[in-house]
Amino acid sequence: MWCVLVFEMLVVDPIQAEKKFAFPRWANYLLPLSVLGVLGGGLYVSVLMAFGLSPKTTDVGYMPEQPVPFSHAMHAGQLGMDCRYCHGTVERASFAALPSAQTCMNCHTSIKPQSTALVPIRESWKNGDPVEWIKVHDLPDHAYFNHSAHVNHGVGCVSCHGRIDQMDLVRQTQPLSMAWCLGCHREPEKYLRPQDEITNMSWKPKGDGVQLGLALKKNLEVQSSAYMTSCSTCHR
Amino acid sequence: MPQIKHHISGIEYWRSLEQLSGSAKVQEWVDTEFPGYDPEELVGTTRRSFMKLMGASLALAGLTLSGCRRWPKEEVIPCASSPKDRVPGIPERYATVMELGGIGIGLLVSCFDGRPIKIEGNPDHPFANTSPGFGAADAFAQASVLEMYDPDRSRAPVDRTKGSDARSTWDAFTTAIDALFPSDGAGVAILSEATGGPSAMEMKKLLLKKFGQAKWYEYEPLSCDNEYAGAKLAFGKSLRPLLKLEKASVIVSLDADLLGVHPAHLRHAADWASGRRSSDEGRMSRMYIAESCFSITGTVADERLGLRPSRFNAIALGLAEKLGVEGVAAGHLSADEARFVEQAAGDLKANAGKGIIAVGSHLPAELHALAHAMNARISSFGQTLEMLELPELDRPTHAESIAALTNEMSSGQVKTLLILGGNPVYDAPADLEFGKALSGVTGIHLSVYQNETSRACKWHLPRSHYLEAWGDARAFDGTVTVAQPMIEPLFGGKSVIELLAILADEKVNTGGAIVRRTAGAILSGADKDLSFRRALHDGLISGTMAPLFKGTPRSVALPASVETKSFEIRFQPDSGMLDGRFANSGWLQEMPDPLTKLTWDNAALFSKKDADGLGVSTGDMVRLTVDGRSLVLAAYLLPGQPVGVIGLPLGYGRSAAGKVGNNLGFNTYRLRTTKAMSSATVEVHKTGGTYKLAMTQDHHLMDEVGKAAIRERVGEKGRSGAILREASFKDYRTNPKGALPGEPRSIRLPLFDPPARLDETHAWGMAIDMNLCIGCNACIVACQAENNIPVVGKEEVANSREMHWIRVDRYFKGTADDVNPQVIFQPMMCVHCENAPCEEVCPVAATVHDTEGLNTMVYNRCIGTRYCSNNCPYKVRTFNYFDYHSKSPRQKGATPWLGLPDAQQKQAVDPIKQMLFNPDVTVRMRGVMEKCTYCVQRIHAVTINVRNEHAEGKRDNVHVNDGDIVTACQQTCPTQAIVFGDLNDPTARVTKLHRHPRAYSILDEELSTKPRTRHMAKLRNPVERGPATEAAVLEKEHK
Repeated sequence: MWCVLVFEMLVVDPIQAEKKFAFPRWANYLLPLSVLGVLGGGLYVSVLMAFGLSPKTTDVGYMPEQPVPFSHAMHAGQLGMDCRYCHGTVERASFAALPSAQTCMNCHTSIKPQSTALVPIRESWKNGDPVEWIKVHDLPDHAYFNHSAHVNHGVGCVSCHGRIDQMDLVRQTQPLSMAWCLGCHREPEKYLRPQDEITNMSWKPKGDGVQLGLALKKNLEVQSSAYMTSCSTCHR
Repeated sequence: MPQIKHHISGIEYWRSLEQLSGSAKVQEWVDTEFPGYDPEELVGTTRRSFMKLMGASLALAGLTLSGCRRWPKEEVIPCASSPKDRVPGIPERYATVMELGGIGIGLLVSCFDGRPIKIEGNPDHPFANTSPGFGAADAFAQASVLEMYDPDRSRAPVDRTKGSDARSTWDAFTTAIDALFPSDGAGVAILSEATGGPSAMEMKKLLLKKFGQAKWYEYEPLSCDNEYAGAKLAFGKSLRPLLKLEKASVIVSLDADLLGVHPAHLRHAADWASGRRSSDEGRMSRMYIAESCFSITGTVADERLGLRPSRFNAIALGLAEKLGVEGVAAGHLSADEARFVEQAAGDLKANAGKGIIAVGSHLPAELHALAHAMNARISSFGQTLEMLELPELDRPTHAESIAALTNEMSSGQVKTLLILGGNPVYDAPADLEFGKALSGVTGIHLSVYQNETSRACKWHLPRSHYLEAWGDARAFDGTVTVAQPMIEPLFGGKSVIELLAILADEKVNTGGAIVRRTAGAILSGADKDLSFRRALHDGLISGTMAPLFKGTPRSVALPASVETKSFEIRFQPDSGMLDGRFANSGWLQEMPDPLTKLTWDNAALFSKKDADGLGVSTGDMVRLTVDGRSLVLAAYLLPGQPVGVIGLPLGYGRSAAGKVGNNLGFNTYRLRTTKAMSSATVEVHKTGGTYKLAMTQDHHLMDEVGKAAIRERVGEKGRSGAILREASFKDYRTNPKGALPGEPRSIRLPLFDPPARLDETHAWGMAIDMNLCIGCNACIVACQAENNIPVVGKEEVANSREMHWIRVDRYFKGTADDVNPQVIFQPMMCVHCENAPCEEVCPVAATVHDTEGLNTMVYNRCIGTRYCSNNCPYKVRTFNYFDYHSKSPRQKGATPWLGLPDAQQKQAVDPIKQMLFNPDVTVRMRGVMEKCTYCVQRIHAVTINVRNEHAEGKRDNVHVNDGDIVTACQQTCPTQAIVFGDLNDPTARVTKLHRHPRAYSILDEELSTKPRTRHMAKLRNPVERGPATEAAVLEKEHK
């Protein structure tokens, strides 16, 4: 069909041109074509919006290279270190602070003291210049996420960060989009866990998770969903 | 809207003379929601190029914004070794001290990640504490943090012997010391700002010991020397009066701005407020003031008399005679003066031991001495007044000191002059010609900025800001206060004590070591290190207050007033610039003067009567001539300005302040001479030119449609309108309901049901007591610092685009010709209506309620239609027209940002300025509406913490204690006029105040907005006028 069209556009019969103007035959295809184009374009844009631009596509799987190839799988997984040994402020502050070089060196003065991978840490420890880690879970600046408000109210680390204990290099597993946040803020009972299982990466509710969640919600005085979906809860 | 115009004439309360006279210009302010709005201005060019740019930016947005990309990479940078107890995201608060005019102001500074970002008053400091746990700081102290992050600060020593702006180093200076300072100190002079710090005193002693012949001078353009000299006349010793206003039921002020520029004004304001707050218990203090300017103390005085500066001797003599001070004879007093004196004297006599007479620091020493005699007569000493014995006050006055120094410089006796801070080239008396004298000597200037004086010196040395340096000072009562640095010096400066230690060749030459050593001599106790740490924590060494002097004043003769018919000028400190030192602070430049509501300028203040006589109106240029010196400046008609007096605010017309403060306003120091440091007679001529002044008094006039409708129903005059309410204390005490009629309950049928509950868990609310507000502007700066509010600049203020979330509306009451109009200050910010008109019109739901009743503003949803602002009856919403954070306030318009939006803040805003941002509040850029949030970040910091503690089992419930959440404005209010809290808590202060008989909701009766902020009516406590006086007044009016 395209060939015919192009041919008819290029080869204009001079005798025909003398005559009274009439739309060429190929013009009959214009209407269905444009309808098709609009429909197809619309579909394309919708698909692009829904999948291509979604944080699921753009952000999930984000795994930047870090100055030191720190393995959570080794430390949190195999060695079973508690998250809070390094991220010590998580229960008190909005930031789950990254450990200082000093914290690393608590162990690494005796364990693997010569490792080349740890050179930046040892340098930092010696001369006081900080190590510049790359932020993986990065919310927009107008969203004021508070770690302490979550880990003190039955939200486990794994809910947002995924199986950190199985990751050699940390990557983002959840979209961390507003819609995703609201999913939990609307129905927290589906995601809550007992306070002593917060850092447990493999915890699964034994019975009815929602029943447990409702009980936890009451016990911990978790705010109502109306409160938690208010703009001011996260934006200031 | 002609029907409104009709109603404007004869209104009871008005913001400006123009509004009162029904000026078309003011009507335009009311009619036009966004005056001066011109889309072409957005790009400073034509509509065509605007369309082109918009097209280009849209295309760019399509290409880049639309995703398929993560936002820019961010780093997380932990400390190499974490400081003890530092938790990222939780601010640390340290006590420190700012020295202003030789007096230490106790401060508490919040630091995020080692960056000081917010200054509050130190609640433990005797002169900052306003009520238990609250410490107030004034606008100057709060804005000083902006000064620290000022990119215009001096960054390196400058050696002008090597070229006009030759950058040098500290090392080069240290090697040059020997050549500059001969070992015996011959020909060396040191000119210092006023300082009372023990370390500075110690270093001065050491320096003068090393350089035996060096001479020390001290100068401040605003000084309290006359007070000390007056005490010396009366008691034989230089003493500082300490006023105890909380014990005073009658306060008589003779030109003393006790609540405004007095060094102890925060203490005074808090104490004065306690005497007003007691109105609920049936007691209320009364303040009399006779003044030669219109001060904020004058606005809250119950009896005010505007006077020429030359009349104060007469008033004081009259008062002394009436009080029975021996050997005093009053001269002639006018009818108004006589009545004022009689009433004040009567009240003082009736309240012996509970009265006080305060005298302005600029008035002559003899007048202060006479006031001491009067205070003794009314038994004030030991009750409402104490005298503080501070040995350092016994020195030549600042005016004498600078005159002597200039003399020695001109005569060649001084070869090297070390100037520690200050700016004498700009602010020394004009007749001394200090700048000329300085050109003949080798000047060395230590200063935070390269100011006028630095530029006239051979050497300039960068001074560390007080937030960057160790130091100590003495508070108003002599208490030793200790300052620790909040941050390393940003630009490698040194403090005064460090420089002096280097010059004195001391081994101990670091600030910390010097302060520790001095404190060691003062501290008591066995463990000096522990008590020093305690002193650092508290910001002061307790028990170091100066001793109180007890003695009987001698009688001192006071000459009678010299009569003059010509105009008199009166120099007054500027409400924002003080003496000019804060000229480069955008926050203070844009802070409207409490009375004139002028920003970015000063002007000669005229009374309407004088201006009418001269044919001058606001904005006209006038020439003032004093003793052959003349100055041309803009005139401003201030209702209440004393007749015959032209007020001249100091501190403007700086030529080397910095990019923000250069060449603004008029340098009134040019008329100030050693003979006339506070006032002089002057010749006035209108020049014919005009000047554009940016004042906010007619901005954000509240809903005239609503007001007009109310006036239709409740009448024009004689009754309090919906916006303002007031009553006399007498009427209120006898019949609270009658004095303040309740709100007429019209039918309240809401158009819409609330989308959700507005009182879930908490219902936040606020009460603002207009009876306590003194219009000091501290809340404006507190809000600006807390909420990352940008400075817009003079041009934009003139377009009514100032971005302050809280404004202090100043209303006058009286006729245009009234010499003494009454004033009400009304702090106004978003009142968080439950039926919020703004929410109904937002097309994108960018402003909605949360479940606790906050009217929240969602910046990321806002598309900038500004419908909400249009529909807000309180006019409290502000719109960011240009990228005010990234543009200079002196630049007109702005170049649009064409890069990626999420990179704008990092790339377009000066990195030094970025350090000042409060990380808990979103930084808004262009195109977004904003307004008061009730400091939602502070609410969440507390509620999250309470709930965390509950979850951890440290608390039984999630109840937030009343007073735990404090908004920035409330925190710093010296009179505690603002109270915030949970209306669900029946015991909360705010709940009680909401039910108070004086509480009312502005415009609620008309519009049924149900505001969460309720204002409280003002009370005045004037002298009851007897029938005879009333008849006399009526008679006078008939004439």
